[in-house]
Amino acid sequence: MALKVSSIPSLPRVNSGLARTLPIATTVLAAIIAILPVQVPGYAALTPAFTLMAVYHWTIYRPDLLPPIGLFAVGLAEDLLSGAPVGVGALVLLLARAAVLRYRRHCINRTFPFVWAGFTLLSAAAMLVLWALHSLVQLTFFDLRATVFRTVLTIAIFPVASFALGRTQRALMGAAE
Amino acid sequence: MRASAQLRATIQRTTPPLLILLSAAIIVLGKADQTMFDSLRTTVTDDAAPALDVLSRPLNAAAAIVERARGIVTMYQDNVRLARDNERLLQWQQVALKLSADNRDLRGLLKVVPETAVSYVTARVIANSGGGYVRTVMVNAGSDEGLARGQAAVTGEGLAGRLTEVGTRAARVLLITDLNSRIPIVIESSHANAVLAGDNSGRPRLIYVGDHDATKIGDRILTSGEGGVFPPGLPVGVVAALERGGPRVEPYVELSQLGYVLVVDYGLSGALPQPVPVAARPGRRSKPATADEASVR
Repeated sequence: MALKVSSIPSLPRVNSGLARTLPIATTVLAAIIAILPVQVPGYAALTPAFTLMAVYHWTIYRPDLLPPIGLFAVGLAEDLLSGAPVGVGALVLLLARAAVLRYRRHCINRTFPFVWAGFTLLSAAAMLVLWALHSLVQLTFFDLRATVFRTVLTIAIFPVASFALGRTQRALMGAAE
Repeated sequence: MRASAQLRATIQRTTPPLLILLSAAIIVLGKADQTMFDSLRTTVTDDAAPALDVLSRPLNAAAAIVERARGIVTMYQDNVRLARDNERLLQWQQVALKLSADNRDLRGLLKVVPETAVSYVTARVIANSGGGYVRTVMVNAGSDEGLARGQAAVTGEGLAGRLTEVGTRAARVLLITDLNSRIPIVIESSHANAVLAGDNSGRPRLIYVGDHDATKIGDRILTSGEGGVFPPGLPVGVVAALERGGPRVEPYVELSQLGYVLVVDYGLSGALPQPVPVAARPGRRSKPATADEASVR
């Protein structure tokens, strides 16, 4: 497996302390939103992968401010809090980061549909890996339909998350790339 | 200066793959010894519980508002229905009073040992498990409130699950639909024992059903009390479909919309053994046991 990780590009320095913590803070927030008990029938199983959206956005625009160790901690905490097998979420987030970092240069300065298409590929791959890992750890074949629905929902919600993240980024860090 | 920059670059380059390997190692370790991360899980859950408690409040409030709005819309029909129900229930009340008196007299004649006292703790659901691979909820009560592993979590409708991890401020309920949930039950009409096995779908499956033909759609499923974890007679659900792998049971509790649960202490939780660390388990790394096994074969 290619674990070669592209180096992090040098980006304009962000001086505000608050702005520097924004990527990690929003990723933590995404992890919390994902486990809040929304009382809608069937929601728990189909919760969109909010953390994946944050990881995709920040790895494209500010990879320097989303360190892998922070991502590892968020993924681990999410696993522990949601009752999932420990390490699965952390592994998927780190793999997603590595993948996005690799193809990052194709995604910057592009129109939104292109960025969205990139996320579609990423979430499909990430959800499949997540499904495979959970099936392996629990030694059972989980129903793939639920994973497909969840992926579709994640892709559908991404524009909203991307808009919110882009807006906060612009407000706190100045113009996005 | 140059060397430190080089060192930093090396660290930056090697950290991501190292963390990926570490995550993979954690998965394997967690799989090999299920209890390994239990204390860490409890600690993290306890620490996060106050924040989740606060953040989940608006959601509960929103659900309550929706419920209230719906109530206002259907007030007239509800009122008509409730008046009718009330009439019917008053008749049932008379029946129940008579049966209760009969029961007391008969128990007196038979010198039945009275059932142990039951204590209830109401807890609010503060987190669920996002994603479809586990079916658990976190509630905002823990050992401080007297909760213990193995206690049953119920709602007014029936059994929701049981406590699997208990911290001081929060606890995790393994729902009856979870892949790892196994509940000894009894089919009310035929008095046949079986096990209700969750498979992460909305309708858990009955396994070890003795007589398949005796099970019919609409049969009520109750806890059997076998194994000593749950008391007998808690309503669980109804048989909703008959499939080749076993009948499917529709739980009475709407598990995806749990707002509050009652954690019930029947004084039975001592029956659930605490998890034993792998090293202490009998038969582990002990050569004679393996030799015995071989000789038996």
